[in-house]
Amino acid sequence: MRIAVTGANGDYGKLLLPRLEADPDVESILVLDTKEPQGTSKVEFHRVDLTRYDAEGELTDALTERPVDALFHLAFLFGPILNGPLAHELEVIGTMNVLTAVGRARLPRLVVPSLTVTYGARGNNPALLREGSPLFGCPHSRFVNDKVEVEGQVRAFRDRHPDTRTLVLRFAPLLGRSLDNPVTRLLSHSVVPTLLGFDPLWQAIHEEDAGRALHLALRAEAAGEFNIVGRGVLPLSGLIRQAGARPLPLPGPLFRGALRALGVVGAGTLPVALLDYMHYSWVADGERAESALGFVPLHHVRDAASALRRSQS
Amino acid sequence: MTKGVLGNDPFQRGAAPRTGEVKDDAADPKAAKKSAKGTKSAGKAKSAKGGASKSGAQAKAPKGGKDAEAKQAAATPKTPAAKVHKFEARTNGHGSAKQEQDAREAEHAQASHASAAKDSREASHAKHTQDSHASAAKDSREAEHSKHSHASSAKHGRTPAKDSREAEHPKHAQDSHASTAKDSRDVAHSKHAQDSHASAAKDSREAEHAKHSHASAAKDSRDAENSKHASDSHASGAKHGRTPAKDSHARGGTPAAKPGAHDAAHASGQHPSDEEHSPLREPPTPGPSPERRPSRPQMLADEVHGSRPQERTVDRALTEAIASDAAEAAAKTAVDELFEGRRGPDRDIERVLATELVAELAESAVRQVLDDGNGSLPEREVATAVATQVAEATAGVAVDEVLDRHATGPEERALSTAEDRDARDLDAGDEEPEEVWTADAWQRDPKDVPPPENTEEVWTADAWSRDPDGMAAPDGPEEEDDFVSGVERVEENGVHISVSIIEGAAPTDVEPEVELPDESHDELPPSRRPLSLVSDPGEEPLPEAPERGEPAFNHREEPAPAAGFAGRAAGMFSLAKEIAGQALASEGLGRAVGAMHGLMEAVRTSLGTGGGSRLDDYGKDAGLVENLQPVLDFLYEQYWRVSVEGVDQVPRGAAILVANHSGALPYDGLVMAQALVRERPDLLEARWLVEDQVFHAPMLGTLFNRLGAVRASPENALRLLDERRPLVVFPEGYQGASKPFAERYRLKRFGRGGFVKLALRTGAPIVPVAIVGAEETSPLLGRLPGGFLGFPSLPLTAPGPLPAKWTIRFGEPLTMEGLAPEAADDLGEVQRLTELTRESIQSMLQALLRERRSVFAG
Repeated sequence: MRIAVTGANGDYGKLLLPRLEADPDVESILVLDTKEPQGTSKVEFHRVDLTRYDAEGELTDALTERPVDALFHLAFLFGPILNGPLAHELEVIGTMNVLTAVGRARLPRLVVPSLTVTYGARGNNPALLREGSPLFGCPHSRFVNDKVEVEGQVRAFRDRHPDTRTLVLRFAPLLGRSLDNPVTRLLSHSVVPTLLGFDPLWQAIHEEDAGRALHLALRAEAAGEFNIVGRGVLPLSGLIRQAGARPLPLPGPLFRGALRALGVVGAGTLPVALLDYMHYSWVADGERAESALGFVPLHHVRDAASALRRSQS
Repeated sequence: MTKGVLGNDPFQRGAAPRTGEVKDDAADPKAAKKSAKGTKSAGKAKSAKGGASKSGAQAKAPKGGKDAEAKQAAATPKTPAAKVHKFEARTNGHGSAKQEQDAREAEHAQASHASAAKDSREASHAKHTQDSHASAAKDSREAEHSKHSHASSAKHGRTPAKDSREAEHPKHAQDSHASTAKDSRDVAHSKHAQDSHASAAKDSREAEHAKHSHASAAKDSRDAENSKHASDSHASGAKHGRTPAKDSHARGGTPAAKPGAHDAAHASGQHPSDEEHSPLREPPTPGPSPERRPSRPQMLADEVHGSRPQERTVDRALTEAIASDAAEAAAKTAVDELFEGRRGPDRDIERVLATELVAELAESAVRQVLDDGNGSLPEREVATAVATQVAEATAGVAVDEVLDRHATGPEERALSTAEDRDARDLDAGDEEPEEVWTADAWQRDPKDVPPPENTEEVWTADAWSRDPDGMAAPDGPEEEDDFVSGVERVEENGVHISVSIIEGAAPTDVEPEVELPDESHDELPPSRRPLSLVSDPGEEPLPEAPERGEPAFNHREEPAPAAGFAGRAAGMFSLAKEIAGQALASEGLGRAVGAMHGLMEAVRTSLGTGGGSRLDDYGKDAGLVENLQPVLDFLYEQYWRVSVEGVDQVPRGAAILVANHSGALPYDGLVMAQALVRERPDLLEARWLVEDQVFHAPMLGTLFNRLGAVRASPENALRLLDERRPLVVFPEGYQGASKPFAERYRLKRFGRGGFVKLALRTGAPIVPVAIVGAEETSPLLGRLPGGFLGFPSLPLTAPGPLPAKWTIRFGEPLTMEGLAPEAADDLGEVQRLTELTRESIQSMLQALLRERRSVFAG
């Protein structure tokens, strides 16, 4: 079995590659990235910059030269970066290139990670969001809206290329010692500001569970979107406490203004969009991943959060 | 401390029933009050000075008391003149502190009934036993101190005692009676003490303290207008913890307080001739003792059951105490005798003074005797005998002295002396047998051996025969009661002798002497004590041990001023701990604390800092609900008194319960869920749907979500019904909850019939439910603009839920049988079913409102 991976140096790649290395069925891993991952034996490195105009041709060449059984398109950001246009290039344009190349190479399987934040935190979310729920995204966040756009592209690709089994894994916020995303950054503070009077339900997934889910997608017979969430839910305050921090409820307008100001100055480490997710719940239903993908989370949200605490200390 | 608290608690609780058994209904309320009052009074004990000054004021109030004080003051400086006087002076100096304390206690006693004060001491005592280790050092110091004082007093007192003995007047039969009576009482004491191994050192201390208190009592009685009262009160003090004694002091100081003098009076049952006393005899004297007894055993039962070396110390202390009691009684009787028939303005004071003197002397003599012994049984006999004799012997001298001081005519003195001698003559006959009996009783009691008949006879004769008239009238019934109970107990233990003896004894008028009056006073107590003691050696003694403990606790601080502050602080601290512990241990407060905890958590949750970790997918926090359960229980059962009708109509499995929404704050969903949990535990946990406006309200929405509310949406509803849960919906929605008070219980439009569609699609039956009471719980009085919080409006309502009575009536379910799921798309059908449900609910509401007589009473 020959696997191609984009973004092997990203968080997803770091979770997946060791598993692929350990998988005896995997003969070689074609890494399509800007730099070669370290410490791997099965890797064939092919340098591709997804943000370049010629990325699509490179990818097509690489994929058609030696056919692969699956492509993991993991070249995504986990959180907004200051360079918004670059992020857009990478996520939206890069995905467009990848999808085109996959279509041309007629790959049998494509796995694309996404995030449950694409559902959007809205007051009228149902208690549990199923995969069919519309993706509202977050009106204030370019990062989330890029993700929503990627999902739209993937869905369109799936419709046009039914031969390619396309799996979209919508991950709950990933928590793990090796990860760096807005949530882990949020929880790494000793005092975490929250919205006064609101305590939405949060989900999270342990990094190990996330890696396992990605690995499971390699052989899954199902296609479509899957919510990959950890067991259970926690109120945001509970999550914060589990992670060893203390919640500090602030009145909404104050909090929002402060975040905006910080964001404008460029000192903000937390996206303003996070406020929405501190206001309303967006709890995804992991039932389909369990039944169709065979993914059963081993870690409760509590464990994921407290693992974060251990890693901090 | 916890242990102590727990140990105490049962005792407190157990006190009531037991009391009832022994003492009748009257005791019960007292017992109930005990703890509270006791703690209170104990707490007051802090303000020694305040108490003292107060008592001073009391004493002043009527002229008699003031005079007495003035005289006393005048007398003190003169004292050096005679040996006896010197001795007295010492006593005075010594006693002032004690007096102060006594005054304090008296105050307490007055503020809270005697029993209360007693109990406070009990409590503190209990505490002390547990805390004794903490204050061991201090205690030992105190003990030492007290010993010193005793020693000195013994030295001082010795000479006079000898002198008086040389005078060697015949004894009064009466005196011996008094002492015997006390002895018998003390048998109980001794038993207790022996049993209370745990606090051996403490007990000894206490015993000494007890003595002190007696002495001080005597001193205090100077203030009393009537010496008899005072002395009587001593007796009672010796008998029943000190409280009554103190009480009587206070009362004695206030001549006007005749009614208040119950405590003193009861003790003074000895004076049938005294009009004052006869009515008073009936009161508390007997009361406190039985009351206390029951309460004790449990407390000490565990700790007690003596160990040998400690017992010895206790014995010693006991012996001293007994001896001092005897001495006092004897002194009092003798002095009374001497003063008999002489009525003058100063008589009372003189009497008291004399009594005190004599008692002091006798006590010191006893101490001298005991100095090298440790209070073994024979020693006790000796001590008691010595005490009595010394007291009697000194009586004459003392009276003379007193009279001298007051510049009374010499002829009077002579008269008194003569009388004294007469009295002693009478006494002489009686004393020997009495003494013997006491000894026997002592020896046997611990071992549960019934005393030999003849001795008993003697004793009984003393106790009972004397007092036919005194006891007969007022005390008759009560006495009977006690008697009966005593008899019964005795029989249980197989000790029949004492019963028969007593019965036989009553008629036996062995000594119908001149001294009748005095004996009646002493009789009451003895008759009771011995009865209970003999019968229940195991149980009865225990209760008394704490008695001694209490006084000791109070007194301990006084005798040793050096360690006083530390002691007091420690005492107060442990007392506070005890109170807190008991309060916590009490069920009600525990629940209250739990409720407070739950409420706090609810507040934190609603603020967004709760951080629960046991949430289900819908956001219900099982931990929070558990913590809030006390509050919910209170609201449900006591505050709103929810009554539920027809709950059996709710079918198992998925069901849609359609209810009227009401009240500015939607408590109804919560109450419905609670009602279903309580009345139908077979059903799955019900959830209720809440409209967005509430669900997304800051704090309120969060809190409701954690309590089990689910946002009203078709997805959620379907999901819940899929889980086969009962689902509570309020189709009126937000406008149902926001209708003005004038439109209460008038149903609004039922939305768009979403619940009917839901029912048609899932086949779940619709159960109409009418809720009455919610409107009055939080009436909507007005609205405030609430747009800035995301509300259409903010309800203006009562600050908290009002205690309206709730009634929830479940109607007949509307089944969806015969209706296809497709009917959900048939607007006409949906409309029809919606109206059907609405009418059903409205009619039930009307019926309930018609049946309701009062909004709050139901």
